[in-house]
Amino acid sequence: MDAIRLTNLSKKYGTVLAVENLSLAVPAGSMFGFLGPNGSGKSTTIGCMTGLLDPTAGRIELLCAPFDAGNAAIKRRIGVMPENLGLFEPLYAHEFLAFVARMFGLDEATTRTRVTELLAALELTDTSKTLSEYSTGMRKRVAFGAAVIHSPEVLFLDEPFESIDPAGVALMKQWLRRLTDQGRTVFITSHVLETVERICTEVAIVTRPGKLVWQGDITTFPIRYDGQEFHALEQLFLHLTGERYADLKWL
Amino acid sequence: MNGPLILELTGLRYKLLWAKTRSRNGRIALFLTGYLLLLLLIVLMAFGGIGAAIAAVRAGKALMIAQGVLMSLFVQAVISTNILGFGMSTVFSEFELRRYPLTATDRRLARHLTGILDPFWFLFLSLELGLALGLYGLEAAGFWSGVCAVLLLFICNYLCARVVGAFVDQLMKRKGGPAVLLGLVMAMGVAPGPLAQIFKKHADWGVQLLQRLAFTPPFAAASAMVSTDGTAARGFALLLLWIAAFLAALIWMEKRPPARQAAVSTKVSWETPFDRAGAFFGPHLGPFVGHWLRFYARNARTRTMGLLSIPLAAFLTYSTSRTLGPDGVFIAAIGTISMATFLGTSRIAVNQFGYSGGAFRRYFLLPAAPADTLRAASYAALTLGAASIPLTLLLWTVFAPVAFDPRRILMLFASALTGLFLFNAAGLWVTLYNPRKGNYDSNFGNDLSLGGNVVLIGSMFCALLVPRALHRWYPAAVTPEAWLLFLPLPFLAALLYRISLRAAGPLFSARREKLLAVVEGRD
Repeated sequence: MDAIRLTNLSKKYGTVLAVENLSLAVPAGSMFGFLGPNGSGKSTTIGCMTGLLDPTAGRIELLCAPFDAGNAAIKRRIGVMPENLGLFEPLYAHEFLAFVARMFGLDEATTRTRVTELLAALELTDTSKTLSEYSTGMRKRVAFGAAVIHSPEVLFLDEPFESIDPAGVALMKQWLRRLTDQGRTVFITSHVLETVERICTEVAIVTRPGKLVWQGDITTFPIRYDGQEFHALEQLFLHLTGERYADLKWL
Repeated sequence: MNGPLILELTGLRYKLLWAKTRSRNGRIALFLTGYLLLLLLIVLMAFGGIGAAIAAVRAGKALMIAQGVLMSLFVQAVISTNILGFGMSTVFSEFELRRYPLTATDRRLARHLTGILDPFWFLFLSLELGLALGLYGLEAAGFWSGVCAVLLLFICNYLCARVVGAFVDQLMKRKGGPAVLLGLVMAMGVAPGPLAQIFKKHADWGVQLLQRLAFTPPFAAASAMVSTDGTAARGFALLLLWIAAFLAALIWMEKRPPARQAAVSTKVSWETPFDRAGAFFGPHLGPFVGHWLRFYARNARTRTMGLLSIPLAAFLTYSTSRTLGPDGVFIAAIGTISMATFLGTSRIAVNQFGYSGGAFRRYFLLPAAPADTLRAASYAALTLGAASIPLTLLLWTVFAPVAFDPRRILMLFASALTGLFLFNAAGLWVTLYNPRKGNYDSNFGNDLSLGGNVVLIGSMFCALLVPRALHRWYPAAVTPEAWLLFLPLPFLAALLYRISLRAAGPLFSARREKLLAVVEGRD
């Protein structure tokens, strides 16, 4: 069963094509890496899949049901950590998490329990600071907490590991593995290829403009493609997206 | 001093202004603002400055009229910049400027140079220059002395407004600061009445006051402009002294470490007044409204304006009532009472998502209809505005120099509600069609879009002018006997608000990508 299925998804911003005829299937219970260079349409694709953006063309199915921006029932079953985190800066961490939990339909008692536990687990116990006063890493932890507080069946994480300290990353990975062990699906975009290689079971690589160039299992290396053997995800990624070299004499 | 880099930064300020014309909305805003400013300039120059100069010379009281005009402009500039925020925007913050190779003095100079070159300040400069040129044309003042006096007064005026702004800003961040500010503004709002009575009784005190006022910047500028003997030199010296004093005060205030809000939360609290108030809107909208109430209440500008709104309404009621006959206070209050309901929340109410930044996208990730987001935000503004009505009516009952009449209370209540609904209905449309990315944390500066300013300033003008127009053309409509006429008004306004809310919901959903681009600063 596929938790996510995209069929010929396209997204245009005015005349600029951000995603072109993207078709993708993500099996339920998998840890799926969605990779691509900057500007290749990864965040736009996540935006379309989570109701933030309207696709120009194509079809999105989440949890075996058609999905669009107005589908609150499906939204209730997914969790999202957006690229810019989407935090309400003037709030305290517990206020933000409680607000998100209540909006996702958790009752007051469950909300309090989960918020308290999350704050402790994510080491966000400094209640004297609002979110605007938190460091980038702490803000990321709060956004991660908000994405998982309602135990979603599908979790979308846009660049989750950047700016987080190793201990935080280890904790997140542990939680993500637990989610997939329970049959839940995790969809990750990241530029930290070593981490993706370690935790993801399957990967899709896109190039500009949001065009799928490779999808496959990465649990076993080497991977054979284009008549070559690749022993690491980074090699495959660079081969597909193109290595760049620029010599600046003054640098 | 790194002059070339400071000039580059000043140039960048205008490049950034010009960059806004790249979007359609920006072009419309620029041209409308440009034409509006041009029109204002011409009107001000022609009828204000030069007109005042002609009147001054014809009456043989050039000095006195110059003093009056300059003092009025000086005070108006300080008040309008601090209340409406025009001319107080920080184009480059201290933090942003630190990335450049500039010393602390260079950075301060760059910040204030880009600040004083705001079109709003040019309006005041043009009027003052008009006065100086008019006086020169009528041979009542020298050309260079007039221009120099005006330029020095202009710098003095800017620095004074900045000092007042910095003082209010720092006061608001201290424990008990809002209460002190409220007291100060209340005192300023109430003082003119008793003071006028005192000066009527003691005419000689007025003369003494005028002598003291000779030491103020506007009077010093008037002396420097009109006088030819040693008084002119004294005027220039006084202006320079004032500039030095304001500059020293500003530097001292800017160097002070930012005060933390004293109420530091050390314990997680779950039951807050915001959530309790939100709960009135039901389990579905409750958390949303509670969230928006918190968003409004945590905004320093909303709190400051909320505190100022009632005293300001009281001040405007008193100051505009004198030409409205014996029942002038009541007639003026019919309009001004509505200001108390919308001034506090106005900044966010006409640009509901402009201060959300990246968090705006969060609303679309929640399992709620986009229309609910818009509705909850608007309900929060309505709730906060409506909460000020009982307090305003109570203050009216206690302090207004008018015999208690329940019909008057009913009329004021109806007028307040009408203003509240109409303002928030207009705010919905501006939120959707003319949003602007703003800085939630800035306490000063006018960061509203053209539409936002039109609705806010237009509403204030309506509040001041509609009762005046009624008094002139239909005087019976603003008497207590006409109380029945006022009863349907809030219902009609509420209906209009309801229609706006229903129509705006689907539009909000359809325009969300456009709004996202504006709110996140990509358009």
